[in-house]
Amino acid sequence: MTSPVIASIRLLIRDWRGGELGVLFSALLLAVSVVVAISGFVNRLQFNLERESASFLAADLVVSSSKPIPAPWMDEASASGLAQGETITFSSMVISADDEMFLASVKAVGGAYPLRGALSVDKGLSQASTDIPEPGTVFLAPRLVQQLSASVGDEVYVGDATLTVAGTLLSEPDSTTGFFGYGPRLVMNTANLDETGVVQPGSRVTYRLLVAGETDDLTTYREWVEPQLVQGQRLSSVDESQPGIGATLDRARGFLLLAGSLGVMLAAAAILVAARRFGERHTDQVAVMKSLGATRATIRQLYAFSLAWLGLISIGLGSGIGWLAQSAMFNALAGQLPSEITRIGIAPYITGAVTAFVCIGFFAWPPLARLGGVSPLRVIRREETIADATRSTDLVLGTASLGLLMLWYSSDWKLTGALIGSIAITVGLGFLVAQTLLTGSRQVGSSAGSVWRLALAGMQRRGTSSAFQVVIFGIAIMLLLVLTSVRTSLLDQWRLQIPEGTPNHFILNVAPTDESSLLTFFAERDIEVGELYPAARGRVMAVNGQPLPDWDRFEEGARQREANFTSTDTAPEGNKIVSGAWWEVGTELSLVSLEDGFADDIGAKVGDMLTLRIAADEFSVEVASIREVNWESMQPNFFVIFPDKLLEQFPNTLFTSFYLEPGEKYRLGELLDVMPTLTIIELDVAIQEIKTIIDQVSQAIELVLLIVLVAGALVLIAGVSASVDERLHESAILRALGAGRGTLSGAVAIEFATMGSLAGILAILGSETAGWVLQTQMLDLEYQIQWVLWPMGIALGAVIIGTLGTYACRRVVSVPPLQVLREL
Amino acid sequence: MIKTSQLIKRVSTAESELEILRGIDLEIKRGETAAIVGASGSGKSTLLGLLAGLDAPSSGEITLDGVNIVNLDEDERATLRSEKVGFVFQNFQLLPALTALENVMLPLELAGIDSAREKSEGFLSRVGLAERFHHYPRTLSGGEQQRVAIARAFASQPLILFADEPTGNLDTTTGATVVELLFGLNKEEGTTLVLVTHDNILADRCQRKYIMTAGHLEEAS
Repeated sequence: MTSPVIASIRLLIRDWRGGELGVLFSALLLAVSVVVAISGFVNRLQFNLERESASFLAADLVVSSSKPIPAPWMDEASASGLAQGETITFSSMVISADDEMFLASVKAVGGAYPLRGALSVDKGLSQASTDIPEPGTVFLAPRLVQQLSASVGDEVYVGDATLTVAGTLLSEPDSTTGFFGYGPRLVMNTANLDETGVVQPGSRVTYRLLVAGETDDLTTYREWVEPQLVQGQRLSSVDESQPGIGATLDRARGFLLLAGSLGVMLAAAAILVAARRFGERHTDQVAVMKSLGATRATIRQLYAFSLAWLGLISIGLGSGIGWLAQSAMFNALAGQLPSEITRIGIAPYITGAVTAFVCIGFFAWPPLARLGGVSPLRVIRREETIADATRSTDLVLGTASLGLLMLWYSSDWKLTGALIGSIAITVGLGFLVAQTLLTGSRQVGSSAGSVWRLALAGMQRRGTSSAFQVVIFGIAIMLLLVLTSVRTSLLDQWRLQIPEGTPNHFILNVAPTDESSLLTFFAERDIEVGELYPAARGRVMAVNGQPLPDWDRFEEGARQREANFTSTDTAPEGNKIVSGAWWEVGTELSLVSLEDGFADDIGAKVGDMLTLRIAADEFSVEVASIREVNWESMQPNFFVIFPDKLLEQFPNTLFTSFYLEPGEKYRLGELLDVMPTLTIIELDVAIQEIKTIIDQVSQAIELVLLIVLVAGALVLIAGVSASVDERLHESAILRALGAGRGTLSGAVAIEFATMGSLAGILAILGSETAGWVLQTQMLDLEYQIQWVLWPMGIALGAVIIGTLGTYACRRVVSVPPLQVLREL
Repeated sequence: MIKTSQLIKRVSTAESELEILRGIDLEIKRGETAAIVGASGSGKSTLLGLLAGLDAPSSGEITLDGVNIVNLDEDERATLRSEKVGFVFQNFQLLPALTALENVMLPLELAGIDSAREKSEGFLSRVGLAERFHHYPRTLSGGEQQRVAIARAFASQPLILFADEPTGNLDTTTGATVVELLFGLNKEEGTTLVLVTHDNILADRCQRKYIMTAGHLEEAS
């Protein structure tokens, strides 16, 4: 016996030349290319987006503390190979040389700050800089420059230190961290911190240690620091500190994983179809080979080696195509993405290779393994067939392997479960519905015209294989529907998250007496301003008479919390009452509504009595309701809300929000000239950045959807081609018997359109199930039954499958019958 | 060379069990030519399949070159076929993806014979297809395809050649040419030839002629 390696290469070359390998090879190539392209693209995109969103923190990870960061923490960061920087923020009066004074939010920076993102500073005379201020110098935010009438080169005083203004701070990456520093920013070097004498024991200061580096090192560091954190210390990554961005990125990641997993499933479906066809086409060949003396083992070895070669070639070529595809996708987004060049890494290729071998092992191999069992007697009696008994085992094994592959790929059991579950539904219902309808259609067909009769009889004659085709079409259409509808919900949700005109500035500390002049100010300038809410700073002291430990004591569990209290008699929009009920308008009862996280922190539930303190007044209220707040909304949100009548009794200020066009920032200065005691929080930069990120991931999602659509189309083509041989033979006989080409192509079109609409029904059932699980459980989106998809899915199934089928079977009606009969 | 005793083959159908061969006793000596004739469905092809070791009998003995093949499993029978048996089929059974030459080489490759190519070229030339080595079956006429099949059957130099209706798909003239080739090569190679046919003229050229009637075999006088 010739070595099986050589024999298998020979078999492969001959099959290739004979055109037998085309579909199987394309399917394998598709699997590898799609997986490499999508996972490569996702890796790069994720890396870039994480880098970009990390600029919200100016780091990958931040430790913040109300006390100086312990030195060993910095040493450990160095030892872990992480880059580090520090910031120390506090509020302080800044005084100009002309004795102008203004309360600023001072940030002293040192080390390699900022580790992610960059400062943008105008140093005057058209000089720009991204460096931190030199010792002895400061950068001032434009509003501070305006308030202090200072310019570059002037001196300003922070506490006891005299510092020189070196530039105007245009933007800083971590501008949104720590809303407590309300004033306009002053950035100085940590080297001058001691000189100021401002930071004393007991002053309200936030120390931050910023670190950045490789993911593994960060994880190690996080695991090292986390157990050492005490009250007043916090560790945060961008996901935790920016829930809006964190959730956006999470959903984008989820979607891309979903898309990649669907790519794998579609490819597996294509391989399954192609291998079945390959196996069927090789049955006669194997019978001849066995009659010529090939043993079962020889045949199995031959095909196993052939498949292995095919796998290796697909992996090599598919990796190349995948690389090209991901780099094309990346380039298409080039203008939108940060310029940082990232490599795709080895992981996508490994994923591609593993996918190829799982697909080969569990989808392509079983039908070929069965070839070993072909009876050599088939050379004399064609009706000798291979035992079908193992098919259901194949299906179970295949589905299980696909499940494991997806689980490995997505590390998400919900996603895997949802997809495998919906596929099981499609397959199960599919065979049931298909078989029933196919039988029914024969009865309808027998009373119909000749084209219909021919079409429905053909479909019924091919019973199981028609059902198999319907199921494959159904799965492909279902996966595409799932992806399309998830994409649509996701994009809609993102659009709603930050609609045009979302308030990008907040005003605090409006004295009730200033309310009307504030409204006049905005009305005169045609700026729309939001509702004015009363606000009072207060503290929760006790729950049900049990005093809470205060914040600074290092104890686990419930503790005192300070918060901005507000009042309203109507539940705020976007808040969801999770327990209790909202009070009646105008109530005079002493009630309170708490945010759920806040309620957890103090250990309170509906019906509990809270003891609260505003300024020096202590009073008691009953918890009426607990709310879930959407922190991603960028709208004013509150931890503690009272009825209007209750808060009126306490001294309070007002606060509101408004939207300012980018070119109108100078209005802030005008406002502070009129009402210098106001505090303004500027969120415009943060909102803009979130919008940019959303735009980028939206485009990425559209591109990935496109690739998966192509994969889906290929599955449909593979499915349609699967029955071409049999049809060729039948149509040759029918044409020899005098059937016209019109009749035959009509029958083919009707047959495929009927299968397509059946597949459409299955697809909709499956996609609604999968869509429900994915959207509610995984992507945290609202789920709505997409009624519009129902007629569309059925019609599209009929049109697409009908057209593809008629096209793939064009040879069936165009090749002379004699040629077909001789070839077969 | 070939000997059977009380060979019985039954198959189960949906309704009942069908006895296709009802106790066949047969002996064909080395180098002899034998024809099995009979009506369609009489069991000729079933017998051929059993003699060639393509199928196993329900009971009885089959000895091929001294080996009782009834006791062999499918793989052992395959090995025996590769060493001792050649086939010519009514529908040629050439592999469409392989050229004429590759089709002839296939059994030699399966048997691991080194000089497969030279041998195959030789046999193809002997059947008059020296100009057709690299043609695919679909581009060959029926007669040419059967000649490729004959070259393939003889190339592995089998002890026994089984032919199932070798002229069944051919016109009279082409059929006659193929028959000449078959008998000519058989004589040159000293092969034992067992053929199944409807064609009495073909059957009469064999040294022995058996008639199959409803599962019973009788030697014609």
